[in-house]
Amino acid sequence: VTRLRVKPGESILETSKRTNSRQLPEEQPLLQAVLVADSFNRRFFPITKDQPRALLPLANVSMIDYTLEFLTSTGVQETFVFCCWMASKIKEHLRKSKWCRPTSPNVVHVITSDLYRSLGDVLRDVDAKALVRSDFLLVYGDVVSNIDISQALQEHKQRRNMDKNVSVMTMIFKESPPGHKTRCEDDDIIIAMDGKSKRILHYQRAQALKRLHFPMNIFHSGSDEFEIRFDLLDCHISICSPQVAELFTDNFDYQTKNDFVRGLLVNEEILGNQIHMHVTKDGYGARVSNLLMYDTVSSDTIRRWVYPITPEANFADQEGQSCTHSRHNVYRETGVSLGHGSQMEENVLIGRNTMIGANCTISNTVIGANCVIGDNVTLDRAYIWNRVHIADDVKVKQSVICDNVEVKHGVVLNEQCVLAYNVVVGPDITLPEGTVLSMHHPDEEDDEDDDEFLSDDNDVGYRKDKTKQKVFNPAEVGSEGKGYRWKTSSLEDTEEDELAECIWGLVLNADPESDSESEVSEGSHDLGSHPASPELDDVKVFQNEVHGTLQRGLDENISCDNLVLEINSLKYAYNISLKEVMQILIRVVLEFPFHQQGAQISTAQYSSHLLPLLKKWAPVFKNYVKRPQDQLDCLASMEEVFLERETHWAALVKVLMSMYQLEILEEEGIMHWFNQGSTTDKSQQLRRNQGLLKFIQWLQEAEESSEGDE
Amino acid sequence: MPSLLHQFWVDLLQDLPRFTETLVKMPGADKETDLSERIESFLSELKRCGSGAGSLRGSAETARETTALLRRITAQARWGNAGDLMEIIRKEGRRMTAAQPSETTVGNMVRRVLKIIREEYARSRGSTEEADQQESLHKLLTSGGSSEDNFRQHFAHLKANVIEAINELLTELEGTTDNISMQALEHIHSNEVIMTIGRSRTVEAFLKDAARKRKFHVMVAECAPFCQGHEMATSLSKEDIETTVIPDAAIFAVMSRVNKVIIGTQTVLANGGLRAVNGTHTLALAAKHHSTPLIVCAPMFKLSPQFPNEEDTFHKFVSPHEVLPFTEGEILSKVNAHGPVFDYVPPELITLFISNIGGNAPSYIYRLMSELYHPEDHEL
Repeated sequence: VTRLRVKPGESILETSKRTNSRQLPEEQPLLQAVLVADSFNRRFFPITKDQPRALLPLANVSMIDYTLEFLTSTGVQETFVFCCWMASKIKEHLRKSKWCRPTSPNVVHVITSDLYRSLGDVLRDVDAKALVRSDFLLVYGDVVSNIDISQALQEHKQRRNMDKNVSVMTMIFKESPPGHKTRCEDDDIIIAMDGKSKRILHYQRAQALKRLHFPMNIFHSGSDEFEIRFDLLDCHISICSPQVAELFTDNFDYQTKNDFVRGLLVNEEILGNQIHMHVTKDGYGARVSNLLMYDTVSSDTIRRWVYPITPEANFADQEGQSCTHSRHNVYRETGVSLGHGSQMEENVLIGRNTMIGANCTISNTVIGANCVIGDNVTLDRAYIWNRVHIADDVKVKQSVICDNVEVKHGVVLNEQCVLAYNVVVGPDITLPEGTVLSMHHPDEEDDEDDDEFLSDDNDVGYRKDKTKQKVFNPAEVGSEGKGYRWKTSSLEDTEEDELAECIWGLVLNADPESDSESEVSEGSHDLGSHPASPELDDVKVFQNEVHGTLQRGLDENISCDNLVLEINSLKYAYNISLKEVMQILIRVVLEFPFHQQGAQISTAQYSSHLLPLLKKWAPVFKNYVKRPQDQLDCLASMEEVFLERETHWAALVKVLMSMYQLEILEEEGIMHWFNQGSTTDKSQQLRRNQGLLKFIQWLQEAEESSEGDE
Repeated sequence: MPSLLHQFWVDLLQDLPRFTETLVKMPGADKETDLSERIESFLSELKRCGSGAGSLRGSAETARETTALLRRITAQARWGNAGDLMEIIRKEGRRMTAAQPSETTVGNMVRRVLKIIREEYARSRGSTEEADQQESLHKLLTSGGSSEDNFRQHFAHLKANVIEAINELLTELEGTTDNISMQALEHIHSNEVIMTIGRSRTVEAFLKDAARKRKFHVMVAECAPFCQGHEMATSLSKEDIETTVIPDAAIFAVMSRVNKVIIGTQTVLANGGLRAVNGTHTLALAAKHHSTPLIVCAPMFKLSPQFPNEEDTFHKFVSPHEVLPFTEGEILSKVNAHGPVFDYVPPELITLFISNIGGNAPSYIYRLMSELYHPEDHEL
């Protein structure tokens, strides 16, 4: 109960520590999570033809285990795993894992259906089955993270307690500036947020955009601090309230989280739902969304950024997977043998019972279990899974080699090659950059029904071989090779759409210039300058309308009450604040004679025209000038008008005098305004005006005499 | 109606044996799962503990928790004789130490409990402890295997005795910090300048205890990049101890003014060396250069039979975040950043150990080791 009364801000952290789930298990409902163990896209094709993405090994541990470990360590007690593609494999894996042991603090339920086509379907099912009872975490099965979510969760709950379920979602972001290797250009986002309340005002994927547009209304949100950020990495972890599932049910066109967030922000005015964000500083969180991210997240794990989730921790608690960690981040599981003269330079992980021949050079590489690697092999940024045979004199650079692959003598794999399950390559062949080989023929997918593996993004634009050959091409895989070539991602012939689907992600293909350009355009959206310019338009129109109203009032002799009514309705129509209304009213009235008589009239003419008008419209002024602050605002805008017209300064004192006599302004207000430190030379000059000084003196004397009377 | 009621009673009576059986079985089964649940949660906590340098809990607390858990295992697990019990404890102990190899306290407590079981068993058999402990050359030659067989005898009161002895161990653990800080006045004199590094709860208590009677000045090396020294300095200055925080680079420069260096440690190794927080080796070398005495406050439970040459588990590397922030961007892909936590301090740089049973020289550590642990338990 005390938790609710805590002031937001400084003491949140302490309270989150104190009200740990361990101490108050009864009061807090158990924390649930929804884990989507399907990507609903084909980024990992053709690897995912044989194994679902969540089960692909990352540093020799299935990706889903990282996600579950993250959930468990943040205190999640019940997890619903939703799978679609190859659900039985995921189920089997989970059944064997430590998560399904009776002692597991996190109870895992697996829910499978072939009908899930997108995240939207999953969440609609969550709603239909009424699985979640309170706030829950929503993650994908390929998220690797060690973020401590408790603070964000606390903030989320506090927000929901404060203003009745307005905030439906808190997204977790990690600060990482542009150019960071863990950033994936597919996922680049621009976020406009309220700096104080951390509310997301605008969310946009910045993918390949050179020009960004922000809707006007986000600048009118009335927040003091406003931030536009491009330095955030979406961790794909979000804290959702049960409403999220309901909203997905209500809006059956929402497919992805992107749809949801954008839909919610667009309809914010109508539905009144808000999305907030939490930026973590020291945690690590990333989603393996393509092979390039696979590369970076693997190397981050090896370099211990996800501590305490490290290879040697054996957090998945698998039998016999104990691992030692030595200098330069070299990890070895049991039974590894290393030939004479072989070097493991740095950031290397070698799985159990793997044999490595002599004179090999291995760096930044992960090798799975039971592999055999020959002599004189060079591996750099290679990801070699289990039971792979690599013969002598092989060179591999930044490539993925899946289970049971055989690489024969003298093969060279250039950057970004993928050898899917059971492929045989070689001997003596050099695979060009970006070669993808698989035992599945690329045309097979035409024959097979598409619905077993659907993409939620654009249509998949795979370049298919025109020849429908079913024999292995020795030019592609070598004389003894087995496998079909999927596509060659030479930079010239790939279209924009295909780039997005490229298995290795965008980063390498995007030229660095476009990167910097988007940064510049982001920087140019400076705060302050932007909100001002659009507002002027509304204000201008409003001013004209007010002028018209007064003109008509004068011509048709409309009563002041009706004038006030009209001005008020205009105020609402153009969404003008009360303060602005007064400023504009003063300006319109003071400029009235110029409009009627032309700008060249003399001071005497001006005041003779203005004073009757002031007298006539005194009730209108009185309606808007009530508090002392209003008087100051009124005087300030008068000053503004007169500063623009130096020749008519003499009239100012007359205006002031008549306003004073009409009891619109009081002497205190005038004195306060006069004594206010003026900022510019010009306004100081204005205050040194002879007539004004006399008027002030007269006011002072009047005040003193009235005091004397009492 | 009556027939229905009658039928009900008949059913109930027939079911009664099964019913009572489940009633009897339930608590036992509950106990088992409860125990393994506790062990699992302790293990996972160990795995996660300490994302920074110092773990969230002090090692004293870890020691207490381990011992309490071992007591629970002794009380609730199924075992017939001392041999079974030792096997169970060894097995769980191996898992616990594997969960967090850098937290040697856990393994030490397991060894202490194993030693207790050995002693209690020997007492039950009637042989004197002295005879059992004597390390004669003859015994060394014939040892191994033979003693294991002897643990097969069953004693009814063994369980109670072992639990009693573990309780005594727990009481000893409760008092360690107090016992160490009680000796503070013998070592800290008025107007001395004392240097320490990072944050050690034992040293903190030690200095605060001395500050009740004496005035002295403490220099705290901040111990970058985790800067636990800042916390230490804040805590000390709250007790009105004159405190100065210095960067690690200034240790050597300031050392000439220092009268004594008092540090804590993570582990005391079998050779009398230390595994202590990063930067301690620098501090110890500077102290040696200026012939400043280096005093280590270490309770007995930190004494580990490990030697410093076991390279793989000796070091602990955490996330390099503190060394090179993740936000640094592009540079991260070009460099390798490491976040090591511990330093090794060789025994010849240490002047004195202050433990809860008094002050000892590093050369005496081997003797303490043989008193605390049975040689066969060094390898779990």
